[in-house]
Amino acid sequence: MTAPHAASATTPHAKTPPAPERIQVIVATDCGSTTTKAILIELVDGHYRQTQRGEAPTTVEAPFADVTLGVTNSVTELQELSGRRLIADDGTVIRRTSLSDPNGCDVYISTSSAGGGLQMMVAGVVRQMTAESAKRAALGAGAIVMDTIAANDHRKPHEQIQRIRELRPDMVLLSGGTDGGDQKKVVELAELIAPAKPRPRFGGEYQLPVIFAGNKDAAPAVERVFGAGFDLSIVPNLRPTLEQENLGPARDRIHDVFLEHVMAHAPGYDKLISWADAPIMPTPGAVGDILQTIAKKRGINALGVDIGGATTDVFSVFDGVFNRTVSANLGMSYSISNVCAEATMPRIMRWVHLSMDERELRNRVKNKMIRPTTIPQTLEALVFEQAVAREALRLSFEQHKAFATTLKGVQQQRTVGDAFSQQAGGGTLVNAMKLDLLVASGGVLSHAPRMEQTALMLIDSFEPEGFTELAKDSIFMMPHLGVLASVHPDAAMEVFEKDCLIYLGTCVAPRGQGKAGKPCFAWELRGAKAARGTMACGEMQLVPLAHDEQCEMTVTPEKGFDMGAGPGKPVTRTVRGGTVGLVLDARGRAIEVPDAEAERRATIQKWLTALHVYE
Amino acid sequence: MTFAVTILAQDAAPAAGWFMPGKGILAITLVIVAAAVMLSILWARAGRPIRIRKIAGLDAVDEAVGRATEMGRPVLFIPGIQDMDNIQTVAGITILGKVAKTAAEYDAEIEVPTTRSLVMTTAREAVHASYLSAGRTDSYNPDRIYYVSDEQFAFVAYTGGLMQRKRPAACFYFGCFFAESLILAENGNSIGAIQVAGTAETTQLPFFVASCDYTLIGEEFFAASAYLSGEPDQLGTLLGQDLVKGLAWAAVLVAALLATVAAVTGHEGLASFVNGARAALGGG
Repeated sequence: MTAPHAASATTPHAKTPPAPERIQVIVATDCGSTTTKAILIELVDGHYRQTQRGEAPTTVEAPFADVTLGVTNSVTELQELSGRRLIADDGTVIRRTSLSDPNGCDVYISTSSAGGGLQMMVAGVVRQMTAESAKRAALGAGAIVMDTIAANDHRKPHEQIQRIRELRPDMVLLSGGTDGGDQKKVVELAELIAPAKPRPRFGGEYQLPVIFAGNKDAAPAVERVFGAGFDLSIVPNLRPTLEQENLGPARDRIHDVFLEHVMAHAPGYDKLISWADAPIMPTPGAVGDILQTIAKKRGINALGVDIGGATTDVFSVFDGVFNRTVSANLGMSYSISNVCAEATMPRIMRWVHLSMDERELRNRVKNKMIRPTTIPQTLEALVFEQAVAREALRLSFEQHKAFATTLKGVQQQRTVGDAFSQQAGGGTLVNAMKLDLLVASGGVLSHAPRMEQTALMLIDSFEPEGFTELAKDSIFMMPHLGVLASVHPDAAMEVFEKDCLIYLGTCVAPRGQGKAGKPCFAWELRGAKAARGTMACGEMQLVPLAHDEQCEMTVTPEKGFDMGAGPGKPVTRTVRGGTVGLVLDARGRAIEVPDAEAERRATIQKWLTALHVYE
Repeated sequence: MTFAVTILAQDAAPAAGWFMPGKGILAITLVIVAAAVMLSILWARAGRPIRIRKIAGLDAVDEAVGRATEMGRPVLFIPGIQDMDNIQTVAGITILGKVAKTAAEYDAEIEVPTTRSLVMTTAREAVHASYLSAGRTDSYNPDRIYYVSDEQFAFVAYTGGLMQRKRPAACFYFGCFFAESLILAENGNSIGAIQVAGTAETTQLPFFVASCDYTLIGEEFFAASAYLSGEPDQLGTLLGQDLVKGLAWAAVLVAALLATVAAVTGHEGLASFVNGARAALGGG
């Protein structure tokens, strides 16, 4: 056994990034499972802008087995497009010697999700408490959580051992007990993991990293249990008291271990680590970082979604608290069958306004699953795919809401006035009314033929309330900017606002339910555009407002509808335009679709026409 | 000494009778109550959904026991200070079963001091059954369920001391409580425990509400077993009782209206109907 690490051991990258004022040219790469994406960011007229983009196949697998080849290829494309020499003869990224040097860059940074990203197993004493905190720490660091072992997970010890043996995690995060609290069960968990000897994904000589972030009094006993054969790190407790969650040290250690062990054993990563000026981050971790940065800088609540072929990631920052969930079986190709099974076909079909044969649709689903790279060729196929996407996003969001909660097991303070309104702890942090910015990424959202389709998919799935800005990540640049935020936050913010996000517009939707046709709200725009009108329940309307336009908007909801200030109370806000414009949504929350087939199709058609979705 | 016995020649002879004509309205009420409960049970058995409002106090059992587990401290359960002939004690023991099962699953230690020997025996049975159903009979320790004293304040003094010594992380008070309610709950609050209480004693409810994290109030306390079990028969009974309560409310409203109208208008027929109904229902 190696000596247990103190919190945050030495970071294994070779270089230290230059001071922000010395950074004018930035090369950033994201090594994905399939492709490596490179971007070039330059200081142009005093502003940081993303100027070029290059892409090349990832080369982590055989026959190349060297991730840096893909990096070199993608950066070479940047070089060709920009005319700036970025790659040296030995294939490395060139650094500038002075600010007047026309070749090279000041900083090279990278993220990685190649080879399945970072895969972790977490364990804690109580599933809803320390085990959940451990899961939050792992997900926040950008990992995929393969399983959560807990003393109350309703599995017998032999079943838990069997499960641990089956998994091949990159590392294990063990938590449990408050400081000065339980020791027995957390040591028992260690005694389950140690003899099970989970085999790591990389190499026979590789010692499985275990991070212990539990009761500090139990650390010596845990250390004895793991003995030789594990690389144990001990960091401060994730839950020093049940009222407090301290995820930072565990997340930092996960990043370090990811670099020291996981990346160091992946083909070519030792070279890539030595090239980079900042630690290589797991891609989802970097996306989470940029979302947190923008939420903090703008003082807003933000939610991001990345829908992929196999999984859907949801990130949120509400009142400064960051949460990330990975819905492992909700995606648009490999997992599309699971989406259909979980959501059920009638719930998918409720979004479809065209007549379709269910048998044909089922065939379409299976074809998409076995040929994941196919894209819709007909309007019917597109409408159906977007209907499936709505349900995948809705289900992912439900899972996210259930996970992003306040801490459980915390003492409540009551007064006699609470007699009839006692709420249990662990309520969700996600509040659709407080959401200010909703960011979409992932093929089905980013590459929808019309921006209006992306906007409506987001609104139907997440049902934002009040005023919510809608945006999409233009070229999936958020990972690059997440790692850039660690070396130059202002540059990351500027590029995020100007080049990364395509603002679709603002959704204006009151909370409440009403009978179709009854008045819902009145609205008035002042400033760049002057207009006014009223909306009836069940209606949608699109008000054109360009990307660079902002208006003062006053919305006066009817009694029973709420725009954030209370039922029936008017609210005035500055609203931002976008490629779609202002979407006025009077469908109520939750959105309900009529049951009768003809009426349902007519209603959907009405909404699609109002937003020019398929025109 | 002799006693004179007088026998009256015209003594009334008793005659068999099935019904007391003046109490017919009670018979009708009985039929309505029984029908409501039985129909509701049939409704529940047929798989029709019956929604019970969420009771935060019962949902918090997992949270409270989890807190005790993480902190390595025991769970304290007090089933009131009355004997098994008190319906609140019976309801408290039902909830003890649920708490004990959760404690068994989490492998947390549970401590149950009692004021009556019969309550101790019943509590031991309930806790044993819970450990059995959780598959953790090896962890069951009957010595942690014990009799303290029949005396109210002797019991309170012991329990207060126990709280200060062992510092349980979760305290449950379910049963019939009197003056000791605030002493117990304040002790629990001072040691930072999550506290859940339930009682039908209206005089003690404000104290529990103010000093506990969660409080089950009166009817919620009695509905707990149906809420926890989810069995159709129990859910149906709960629904039936609620229907009857609704009808009773409606009857009280109608009668109050009729009595008011009779008093204002001086309508004799209406007044005699109201008086007759009141007499039939046992009113003064």
